[in-house]
Amino acid sequence: MSITIPIGPQHPALKEPISLRMTIDGEVIKDADIRLGYNHRGVEKLFEGKTYIQNIYVAERICGICSHSHTTCYVNGVEKLSGLEIPKRAAYIRVLIAELERIHSHLLWLGVAGHEAGFDSFFMYTWRDREIVMDILEEISGNRVHYAINTIGGVRRDIDETQKTKILNHLKVLRERTQYYKNLGTNEPSFVARLSGVGKLSREDAIALCAVGPTLRASGVDMDVRKDDPYNCYEEIPFEVCTSDTCDVLGRTVVRINEVLQSYDIIEYVLKNLPAGDVRVKAPRKVPEGETVSRYEAPRGENIHYIKSNGTDKPERLKVRAPTLGNYPATVAMLKNGFIADIPLIFAAIDPCICCAERMAEIQDVKTGSTEIKTFDELKKYSKKFDKHTEHKKDVEWPL
Amino acid sequence: MKKAGFFIPELIIHVFKKPVTVDYPFEKLEVPKGFRGTVNLNPQLCIVCRSCERDCPAEAIEISVVSEQEKKFKMVIHNDRCIHCAQCVEVCPTQPKAMSINTKFEMAEPSRWNMKFEYVYTRKLKEKT
Repeated sequence: MSITIPIGPQHPALKEPISLRMTIDGEVIKDADIRLGYNHRGVEKLFEGKTYIQNIYVAERICGICSHSHTTCYVNGVEKLSGLEIPKRAAYIRVLIAELERIHSHLLWLGVAGHEAGFDSFFMYTWRDREIVMDILEEISGNRVHYAINTIGGVRRDIDETQKTKILNHLKVLRERTQYYKNLGTNEPSFVARLSGVGKLSREDAIALCAVGPTLRASGVDMDVRKDDPYNCYEEIPFEVCTSDTCDVLGRTVVRINEVLQSYDIIEYVLKNLPAGDVRVKAPRKVPEGETVSRYEAPRGENIHYIKSNGTDKPERLKVRAPTLGNYPATVAMLKNGFIADIPLIFAAIDPCICCAERMAEIQDVKTGSTEIKTFDELKKYSKKFDKHTEHKKDVEWPL
Repeated sequence: MKKAGFFIPELIIHVFKKPVTVDYPFEKLEVPKGFRGTVNLNPQLCIVCRSCERDCPAEAIEISVVSEQEKKFKMVIHNDRCIHCAQCVEVCPTQPKAMSINTKFEMAEPSRWNMKFEYVYTRKLKEKT
């Protein structure tokens, strides 16, 4: 007999509203169903009623964690439509903020992964280190979350020498801490054993289901918009695309730790080679008629903005495809044939941002069956209990 | 070598450390120099070009005419709607800027209607050069 377990949509333990329905057979998930639409805010309609300059701040508020991702994606698109060439210094500052944001997002995710795996001290340490990045961002842009550094035609604030030295000093501390977390895997067998083999997504499935970002790269596909379709002078900056072949949550952790280390290198390169000159050019208020697609590698994956202009100072249509939406079909594949105890870990591993993804999409695969309600908290407790009874995986190697 | 308890030395060090958080109402953290706090208007400098009203994404700035003959205007800044993006400061065309943003972040009031700031002023005429 199969049982359907609903999780969400409204529960204090679930950070954002989403409904997950699992059809289970005993301990094993046979089918998963994700239902969206609980956090729809009508942002795309709001875009149509505001001018291009006002829309920068609306785009920033699509998501709190990747606020710079959405504005850069939007602003790059508008600049492409108007045929504007931004100064090199502005592009470098955009890269700097983008990489700082990537570090802050990945450290946050590492903490969440630690929390879901029952390793709460790891969660507290990574979140403490994240404060350092937040302080740097506040110093440069004037705010911890909404940096508002982008404008059409460049960036709004320049950085000076004292800020540069401050960032480099903070980076030293961060690099040391990240190296410590990298070594942690080789020494903490319980953490590695919990993550390994959970949420398998094969290379073929990852490509077929259009997974994006670290989820895709953890399945061994080296795809990164920064390398494949460079924007904002990324083609001049040396860095590597991090991949992993383990195809599970452990691989996703490894990819993220490596990406954070790559980001430190990028920031150091950017600060050392920051070109002199202006940070912005004057942009016209009206944008010529046309349409464009702008791509951006957000911390969670590829972010796409489609902008259609009708020649006035307001866009006719703006469509946002956030990375989380791209990862939902892959999540269903990951959950299938997994255990109930692994649901929080697998779902957290795509770094879901529901408010980003609430546009228009439906994934439906509903099976009838009796219903049993389990809250997310109960599920987490159950996950910890379940882990005690399973046999310990002894020969798992930390791939770093 | 693999051994459990890699984190234990780190945990023991932290038992003897001071808390990272501060005792907020009694002790305050300093905000950086460029922090975007509350928006202010310097009425003596304003030329009523309405750029700030036009570009404010939250529609938090309202300019109305009090008296056409005396060139008297009223500007209302709705701090309850303000999203602290400082776009109004950026578009202000006067030198020095009539709109400014300070580092004040404690703006809580018992009612959102108390967060409205009103300025009634006579328009500054453009200086002939």
